[in-house]
Amino acid sequence: MNKTLFGAVAALCLATSAAQAEAITVLVEGGGHSLQQAAADAFTKETGIEVNFVEVPYQGVFDKLTAEIASGTSNYDVATIDVVWNAAFASHVEDLSDLFTDAVKADIPPALLADATVGGKLIAMPAWANAEIVFYRKDLWEDPANQAAFKAQYGYDLAPPADWQQWRDMAKFFTKDGMFGTDVIGATSEEWMAEVLQAGSPGVILDDAGQVILDNQAHIDALVNYRAPLCEDKSAPDNALEINWGEAQNLFYQGQTAMMKFWAHAYKMTPEDSKIAGKVGVAPMIGGPAGIAGIPGPWYNVIPSTSEHKDAARQFIAFAIAHNGLGIEAPLGLAATNSAYASYTDKPGYEHFGPLLATLSAPATKGRPINEHYQELVDEAVMPAFQGALECQDNVAELLHDAAATARDILGQ
Amino acid sequence: MADRAPIDLTKLIIHAVALLLVLSYALPYLYLVSTALKPAVDVQQIPPSFLPQRLSLENFTSVIGTVGLPEAFLNSAIVAVLTTLLSLLIAVPAAYVSALYRRRLTMLFMLFALITRMVPAVSLGVPLFQIMKTLGLLDTTIGLVLAHTSTAVPLAMLLMAAFFEGVPKELEEAARVDGCTRFGAFWHIVLPVMPSGLAITALFSFIASWNEFLYALLLTSESSKTAPIVIAEFNSVYGLAWGPMTAAAVLYSLPVILVTLVLQKQIVGGLTFGAVKG
Amino acid sequence: MTERRFVLLMLMPAMLFLGLLVVYPVALLVYNSFFDVKLIDPASRVFVGLANYIEALTSRRILESAVRTLKYSVFALFFELLFGLGAALLFAAIARHSHWHRTIFALPLMISPIVAGLLWRFLLVGNIGILNYGLAALGIIPDPGAIKWLSDTDIVIYSVAAADIWLTTSFVALVSYAGLMNIPRDVLEAARIDGTNAINRFWYITLPMLRPVLAVVVVVRGIDALKTFDLIWIQTQGGPRQQSEVLSMNIYQRMVRYGDLGQASATATLFLLVMIGIAGLAYWKIWRADRG
Repeated sequence: MNKTLFGAVAALCLATSAAQAEAITVLVEGGGHSLQQAAADAFTKETGIEVNFVEVPYQGVFDKLTAEIASGTSNYDVATIDVVWNAAFASHVEDLSDLFTDAVKADIPPALLADATVGGKLIAMPAWANAEIVFYRKDLWEDPANQAAFKAQYGYDLAPPADWQQWRDMAKFFTKDGMFGTDVIGATSEEWMAEVLQAGSPGVILDDAGQVILDNQAHIDALVNYRAPLCEDKSAPDNALEINWGEAQNLFYQGQTAMMKFWAHAYKMTPEDSKIAGKVGVAPMIGGPAGIAGIPGPWYNVIPSTSEHKDAARQFIAFAIAHNGLGIEAPLGLAATNSAYASYTDKPGYEHFGPLLATLSAPATKGRPINEHYQELVDEAVMPAFQGALECQDNVAELLHDAAATARDILGQ
Repeated sequence: MADRAPIDLTKLIIHAVALLLVLSYALPYLYLVSTALKPAVDVQQIPPSFLPQRLSLENFTSVIGTVGLPEAFLNSAIVAVLTTLLSLLIAVPAAYVSALYRRRLTMLFMLFALITRMVPAVSLGVPLFQIMKTLGLLDTTIGLVLAHTSTAVPLAMLLMAAFFEGVPKELEEAARVDGCTRFGAFWHIVLPVMPSGLAITALFSFIASWNEFLYALLLTSESSKTAPIVIAEFNSVYGLAWGPMTAAAVLYSLPVILVTLVLQKQIVGGLTFGAVKG
Repeated sequence: MTERRFVLLMLMPAMLFLGLLVVYPVALLVYNSFFDVKLIDPASRVFVGLANYIEALTSRRILESAVRTLKYSVFALFFELLFGLGAALLFAAIARHSHWHRTIFALPLMISPIVAGLLWRFLLVGNIGILNYGLAALGIIPDPGAIKWLSDTDIVIYSVAAADIWLTTSFVALVSYAGLMNIPRDVLEAARIDGTNAINRFWYITLPMLRPVLAVVVVVRGIDALKTFDLIWIQTQGGPRQQSEVLSMNIYQRMVRYGDLGQASATATLFLLVMIGIAGLAYWKIWRADRG
């Protein structure tokens, strides 16, 4: 058989299949929809392939994708998933290694590349990344009376907090006039995990070899430090266990806390008519003994192996990363690539991009473990110990020791 | 006179207690409404205030503009109405024979219905998903109606059976003596005297479907997505948009309140039913 | 048509329907419970016999959430009956004037559990929860931070029941009210003329005649309370320290979030068996006894 003819037939088949694949369906959470709509519109304009977003609540992304994959066929060609699910879906999604050209790789912070790699394969393409940075009240920090009083009390200049000690000092200092210095989040543990990395741990919960290190000294030091504003300094509201992201953000917006660590996107979302509008300053995440470190909160695009339009899905993902900056104009204003962020850093209103990039590319910044049992490890081992510690009575080392035993049990170690 | 005074006092106390009870029950709902009427930034004020300090419709306008919400309301209504009709159609005959033709089979069947109601929905979600997928009913109105009806039928059967228990067997027998078939007696004689029971059963089937979340989350995605899912989406990883969510919740409760008002007569109709029985 | 055929015909639609949409999935559930099988990959499964059951029965976590489920259900059911029956009696006492009372009382029924959960979280949570500010203003608690409804591990399982009680007392009240209205008034009237006082009339006439309706309410609401999921999930996600985690949440976590289909199915099957036991008992006790 003539080879060229064969090739031509194959090309024809490919062309037909591409022509038939006029639409792809993308499973997203609310944020994923708004951040990718602009890229999808541009993609449709260029290729003629329609992009339909199916928007579900956060937990729905995981539940529905799991159920779809389990049923053997899938209505979704692309799913935009939280990084913590990468490992769970790894063996049921396409290998995207060929989409990671050298140019793409060079443009993505290393921590995000590491999170996309499962079993040596790049199975997921970053869609956008986020990290916690420091938010503080510029008006309070720039007030000469505060500056003088702070210097007199603590012996150094009042500036945005850069390390653990400064964070505690400033939290104590601003706990006055019916206001707390900061908040301690007790309903979720990511902020503490960032401090674990700041303390110099080789990983959070697990090391790179997958061994449980939940009770190493860095985890203990970080938890002792994390609960200090709550338990020792009384510089945070005492109902920490009720405080989740939303509550923490609201305390800050309502002028109840002077500073917080929070996901960078919030900078653009300060309500215009709130008490603190125009008074918000941002700085990179604080550093510990190992320097600045944050927990990246990236979302990834994956192609379920049950998809029937894989070629179109690949085209979309390649297009989306090449035009990653388009998401920045969306309300959440996030992207994944250095170049997308860099193109905005000097624009007014995007002061948070500098601190965000500094945090994301800090050497100690590292993703949460890429383990298919991650969810179970957090819910069953980490949270009970973490929340127990925030009741301020039990010994942190003992709590983490028990948690490590639970974690080893889950992993069969 | 001496005899009348204490009676009036009792009545007064009863009225006062009833009023107090009703008011305290309405408070959380009123707070939901008043929250929806606050400007978004005041919604999570510290300390909170019960009444809005500034009135604003911004939550409502932003909600009405939310993509997909009107469609979701319509989907919810269609699913809930069809679920109610189908549940009654399936449950009422079964409940009727269970109550009036009490025999081993019907007793066992009622027990069976009760057991089906005990299955935790969380554990059925996944198998139901697979069934719907096989039947090609995923993300269709029919699929969700079937799923909702499967949870509504047992409750509807139990409720209707309880109401049918109140019907004297003689009523049915008399109808049969007058020449009705068994079905005729059921359809023309017994059913018409139970508007109250039917209304309440319909109402509960409707509400259960209208508010159902778990199956709707799993079995619908785009074209038949119902409103509770859209409302839950206001609670995203990027924070809880309390203002718009309360506004959507208030809007979503209005149609059901209307339904209840319409059915009020039937619910009060229980009085007539009592008279028939006497 | 013979009586037997008529009965069968009337039962048929419900039988077929429940058979396909409940019995079949339950059979799948029971089948899965004997395997080590992942949710995402149901094709590859290993038969493990009763291992999943043994693990479930020896798990402290599952035992603790079972006890918690029971505490939650008894607490919620008790107050729902108390308030619901109380409200129904009050409304019956002012029957003609209770139109609006009943309508307003039915309001929580219209609220979806998702919203009710969020609303009660909003009412109870520290700093912004208006309930504590109200209690403090009334002088019942010293300051708004005095009770940490959702973060005090000792009370959280009862705090999350508030939403349930608020949401479903209406159901109890409306059904009881309909039951009360069906009691022939001449019986009560006759007893009144005979000089029976209100309490005795309630105890010896109203309550026994209300029994079939109350039995349904207790069984239906009891089962619902035992199955509660979304209402608590949205308020606390089972925390803090898993102290508000109930059994169906445990099943959901294990089945969907951890993907451990086999283990979760075993727990769900056991849960179902226990419920059948409890409800069977209630059924024979209240319902059957009534028929004598």
